Amino acid sequence: MSRRRWLLAGLTTPLLSLSASDPLKVTYDGDNLHVAAPTLHFLTGKPLERLKYGDVVAYVAQLELLNESRTAVVRPQRGRFVVSYALWEEKFSVTRLGSSAGSTAHTVEGLSLAAAEAWCLDNLTMSTQGLSADLSYWLRLELRTGTARDFADEAKIGVSIHDLIDFLGRKNTEVTHWGPLETRVRLADLPRMAGRGSRNG
Amino acid sequence: MRYTWLGCLMVGSLLFAGTQDSELNVNKRYTVDTVIVAGKGWKTNLADQQNDRISNGLRKDLLALIGQKLNPGILDGLSSRLKKEFSAREVSHQVLRGDQPEHVRVEFEVRPASFGLDGTVTKFLYDSKQGWSGIGAVGFTAQQNSFAFGLASDGDTLNERYAGISARYENKHLGTERVGLHFKFESYHQLWNQSTLNALQANPGVTSDAYRTRQNFEPTATITLAKPLTLEIGVSFQRFQDQYPVAHYEAANALTTTLRYHRRLADAQYPQDVDAAYNLRAATKVLDSDFMYASHTVGFNYRVVHGKHQVADHVNAGLIGGRAPLFERLVAGNSSYLRGWNKYDIDPIGGNRLIHNSVEYRYGPFQAFYDAGAIWDSGQPATPRHSVGVGIKESIFSLAVAFPVRSGRVEPIIMVGMIY
Repeated sequence: MSRRRWLLAGLTTPLLSLSASDPLKVTYDGDNLHVAAPTLHFLTGKPLERLKYGDVVAYVAQLELLNESRTAVVRPQRGRFVVSYALWEEKFSVTRLGSSAGSTAHTVEGLSLAAAEAWCLDNLTMSTQGLSADLSYWLRLELRTGTARDFADEAKIGVSIHDLIDFLGRKNTEVTHWGPLETRVRLADLPRMAGRGSRNG
Repeated sequence: MRYTWLGCLMVGSLLFAGTQDSELNVNKRYTVDTVIVAGKGWKTNLADQQNDRISNGLRKDLLALIGQKLNPGILDGLSSRLKKEFSAREVSHQVLRGDQPEHVRVEFEVRPASFGLDGTVTKFLYDSKQGWSGIGAVGFTAQQNSFAFGLASDGDTLNERYAGISARYENKHLGTERVGLHFKFESYHQLWNQSTLNALQANPGVTSDAYRTRQNFEPTATITLAKPLTLEIGVSFQRFQDQYPVAHYEAANALTTTLRYHRRLADAQYPQDVDAAYNLRAATKVLDSDFMYASHTVGFNYRVVHGKHQVADHVNAGLIGGRAPLFERLVAGNSSYLRGWNKYDIDPIGGNRLIHNSVEYRYGPFQAFYDAGAIWDSGQPATPRHSVGVGIKESIFSLAVAFPVRSGRVEPIIMVGMIY
């Protein structure tokens, strides 16, 4: 191996390893950004213990797009999920609550632990409408267990999720945080998801 | 047509939202088959066992979960009620797999307060013949240990008025939930009724002399033999200072044993309570006692409730063999036995035989009772006595007027206070 090749290998290895250890994977379907965080496991510890004892656990995911200097949030996106665990089927059920008050919830059942975690993030998308394809941004993901305040809108409009509100209102419900996970994105460089066309050019 | 479609869409979306909300906890599809309440060192399956710690109303609501689909919203409310009843630090609940498929078990865990301060009044009574009596204590609890310091001035229970202090330590679970331990210390000064002093003079050697002070140290272990049956075993070291001919101390050290049975039949058509107890106090030379005696007392209480109606019967009997000091002798004509009679008229130094029955009827707060009994000394004839009374009783607060049934004059006794 020549000296030049050794030098090249020495320079590229950290870059490759950085790419491999990137905690936030971002894909683009032409309209929305999709995130995946293979190293982020939030169905663990106390929340998982509560689930296994028949409780529900609410999660709030905050996805933010920041400018390149990371001084301003260009676009925020919030996702709220309620997870429960079927004691007999030993499968998880996840309900994604609407991002705004009154919007429709969507539930899937029969998920494995990994599938439930993945489903939550799969359903956390960010519209790219109005974003420049050539500018660099930072995408930040934070996740935490929810509190009653996060679900106050539903209570106001009379949607019956009192069980959840009561549960979250318990004094001893601890809030657990995960993240933030960050990655630099440039729409033009992002891999396009298969089978999806771009409407943004 | 456009409005019809819009209406369908709105109704559809509401229905959809409703379905989703009810599915937030996927375990709502399961049926509850067991409800368990557990605390530190104890556990109760409500369907199988009786638990006297839980009130009837709450127990009924907990049992109502069984056979129904799981409703997590109700569990929080029940936890709060348990917390209140047990004065617990926290009550949490868990839902676990039941014994059959698609069934779940709900377990409530009661975590006791690590430190609690409370005051209790165990007796507060005005008797128109004997005056005021009061016994109270202030205590605190740390884990399963409780300490209490009390004051007493009681002219009702015995043929003496005793006033003084007490201290008590109790460990409710000594290693196991079946064994508890408590130590009691009491120190009292005595006041005597002239009738008692006269009777002592007239009957020398029957019992002890009138003493000025009395101290008692009593370690006791409580063992739960089976759930409704408990056994208490202890030793009572009592010493008292006689006044005559010169001040000197005497001791009445006794082995004490009490066997108790308590059962509440809350599920019966009419809730019923059954209590029975046998108590033995045996003073022997082995314990360096100056008095040798064996005191046996038995009690049986039965109560049945039907709506606002309550009928109760209390049967008590006592027998003392040997020569027991004054504080050990049996007494009637107080707020417990032969209410309406004056104990100093019946037997100013008490007796060594007692038989008593009390029937009580209550309608709401109103009560009427009939007491019948006799107190006497062995070898002497027993004189049966009766009394009737009416009053108001709400919880522990009681106001009663009792009349001794006898020929000649009617001299009622009024009793007001908190009677347990």
